[in-house]
Amino acid sequence: MPDAILQFESITKRFPGVTALSSVSFSIEFGECHAIMGENGAGKSTLGKIVGGIYTADAGRMLLDGRPIAFRSPREASEAGIAIVHQELAFCPNLSIAENLFLGRLPSRTGFMRTTEMNEAARRMLDAVGLSLDPRMEMSRLSTAQEQMVQIALAVGRGARIIVFDEPTSSLSQNEAELLFALMQRLRADGVTMLYVSHRMEEIMRLCNRVSILRDGQYVTTLQTSETTTDEIVRHMIGRTVEAYFPRHAAGAPGDSLMSVRRFTAFGRFEDVSLELRAGEILGLAGLVGAGRSEVARAIFGIDPHDAGELQIRGRTVELRSPLDAIRAGVGLLPEDRKRQALVLAMDCKENLSLPSLEQLRRHYLIDHRAERGLATNFFRRLRVRAPGIDSAIAGLSGGNQQKIALAKWLARRCDVLLLDEPTRGVDVGAKAEIHALIDELATSGKAILLISSELPELLNLSTRIIVLAGGRVVGELSRAEANQEKLMKLMAGVN
Amino acid sequence: MATDSIARILRAKEAGLVVVVIVLYALLAGFGGSVERDGVSVNTFLQSANQDLLFKETAYWAIMAIGATLVIISGGIDLSIGSIYCLSAVVGAMFFQHFGPTGGGAGASGVWVLPVGVVVCLGTGAICGLLNGVMITALRVHPFIITLGTMAIYRGLAFVMTGGQTIRNFPTALTHEFIGVNISGLYPVPAIVMVLSVIVAAILMRNSVGGRYVYAIGGNETASLYSGVRVNRVKIGVFTISGLCGGLAALILLGDYGSANSNTGTGYELNVIAASVVGGASLSGGRGTAFGAFLGALIIKLIEKAIVIFQINQEYSRIIIGVVVICAVVLDRVSANLVERRMTRAGRET
Repeated sequence: MPDAILQFESITKRFPGVTALSSVSFSIEFGECHAIMGENGAGKSTLGKIVGGIYTADAGRMLLDGRPIAFRSPREASEAGIAIVHQELAFCPNLSIAENLFLGRLPSRTGFMRTTEMNEAARRMLDAVGLSLDPRMEMSRLSTAQEQMVQIALAVGRGARIIVFDEPTSSLSQNEAELLFALMQRLRADGVTMLYVSHRMEEIMRLCNRVSILRDGQYVTTLQTSETTTDEIVRHMIGRTVEAYFPRHAAGAPGDSLMSVRRFTAFGRFEDVSLELRAGEILGLAGLVGAGRSEVARAIFGIDPHDAGELQIRGRTVELRSPLDAIRAGVGLLPEDRKRQALVLAMDCKENLSLPSLEQLRRHYLIDHRAERGLATNFFRRLRVRAPGIDSAIAGLSGGNQQKIALAKWLARRCDVLLLDEPTRGVDVGAKAEIHALIDELATSGKAILLISSELPELLNLSTRIIVLAGGRVVGELSRAEANQEKLMKLMAGVN
Repeated sequence: MATDSIARILRAKEAGLVVVVIVLYALLAGFGGSVERDGVSVNTFLQSANQDLLFKETAYWAIMAIGATLVIISGGIDLSIGSIYCLSAVVGAMFFQHFGPTGGGAGASGVWVLPVGVVVCLGTGAICGLLNGVMITALRVHPFIITLGTMAIYRGLAFVMTGGQTIRNFPTALTHEFIGVNISGLYPVPAIVMVLSVIVAAILMRNSVGGRYVYAIGGNETASLYSGVRVNRVKIGVFTISGLCGGLAALILLGDYGSANSNTGTGYELNVIAASVVGGASLSGGRGTAFGAFLGALIIKLIEKAIVIFQINQEYSRIIIGVVVICAVVLDRVSANLVERRMTRAGRET
């Protein structure tokens, strides 16, 4: 292929116990936006990291402009004109944007930084990608999206011809993602080749020319996005058809009110938020990041204080001053950041699962280990957790299975009101479908669920009703029948 | 069944430490020479009197290392442990001196002097620890800073109370009938107290709800809070236990040596933290065991003994112990890295 900028020939990468990539071959054309898709564990990030010089392939070769190349470090890749944009900490948060952009090659004169010169150059780099940020600003003040754009500015500023995007949008709001997409479109117009590693189908259909699919480390196929459908891609990813990719929740008649939030206010975060959660109901909470969705959930759960408002659980007014109060009242929160807020990665699966239930599992002062194991075994079966055993380290599980355990914590504690904050973030397609089915099942069994999600299809398919927040206020409520993507987007963005 | 439990023991975290202890024992027994006793030749190092002394000396560090390990597992650090030990010893000493043969309360009945004295000594330690915990949680200041401050404060208090004088002359009920009781030439009580402490701590850390919470908080404080763990209460408890361990070690000192002053236990915090770390406690929290703390203390003590036996200049002992601590942490880091890498690759690879 004469117009291929990058070719993979039998790329193989092994890690102890796993073959992440097994003899993968395909090519990327000059100037295209090429998506790499696959479930978690399919090897797509590994491939991205090999291109970016973070990993080195064990076998096979990579050709850049027809010439074989092998990078031993991201620096070598960068010198060859390949940059990688990812979510892991790429910058020093305590330094300014400019200092970060020039890290490792700070302009200096006899050891002192030439600050003015550096800031000017940094501003030019930011301007080049249409970012209007003050280069003197401290990195820590940027949002994830802005930080990624600075990474892009850096890549472009260093003359990158190929940019690898490793799941860039997984923690961005719709608005932020749009900014990123606009920038990507600009880059494509400038002839930059892009490799886009992502889970998100919609983005890929919109942004990319072609999509290559990996499954279990093997190359499956490459499709033209204009000639394929979401269903076809999913089918290739999981190797079977899933009619239940996004099951629609069978909304039953809601039961008694389990939780009622009246005029909740926390100044500066949200104001005058009222909502009612009934047994058997999934109440969707939509909004852009920063609209106050997580903040409301955190206040209900007793993590953050609120300034005004009343909370009733099963008709009784309660004051939840700590997560423990909330848990005792039967409320569980699945927080948005699984690794930071939900799991103790140093502990094993059963210990994570039983953590909120230890008071129930103890006999005198000691933990009843047999009861603990029984509890874990039970929920492993019910939630179909795929792990070597209840004693295996939770850090070794896939995102989907970790999420199941984070959810099982509250089921084991018999919480009736579940606040789910982005329950399918960072989990693969198969696990996502399973979690959706589980949420559905829980509602059917009489739990009351508050579902916070940035993915509109998820909200639309699962929710009985959807409340929309914007700027910390409730701006609308849609029944399942009236809700659609367009209406939600308009409400979320504050367009009437 | 038998092979199964042996396999489990070999896989345990402490297996490496046990091997180190065995190697040190072999070296010390092999190179320590022998002495003539009652016409029989006995190995100098292995003879009962020497082993008794070894375990008695280890007891101080091991008991305090249990508390320090607990603090370290919870993600904190207790620099004031040496000073708590000193203040508890001084307060206990003043009490026992008052009721000792030369004190103003000499006539008091031994029946209540001993138990009250024990409570005074342990209570002082526990209160010091409690204060540490309360300040750390209420003021939200890192334990390093708070205990750095109380390290100076508690020792300063000990100095002010004693005026720099050494306090001695305790009731024989303490020094000859309890802690310092002599059973056919051996002084076994400190070692017994240590063994009991290790067993109780090991059971509580492995099997109690509070123990599990300590590991959870050290592993991920936010997730623990979100799971309904009363994080502050657990932290205060952990520091209180650490103080209590200091008080217990102080009690043994009073019964064993029969004196205390404001210089007692200077620099012990380093030995104690070193013992915890050598014993496998991770300063990033979430990992460590009571048995490990004991083995860590024993290893450091054995190294000290080896320095004597191999006639290395005493001045080198600090250097050697420092090197051992760093090596232990580096080895720990390397193995943790390996485990982590294996996990990341197995689990999160995409």
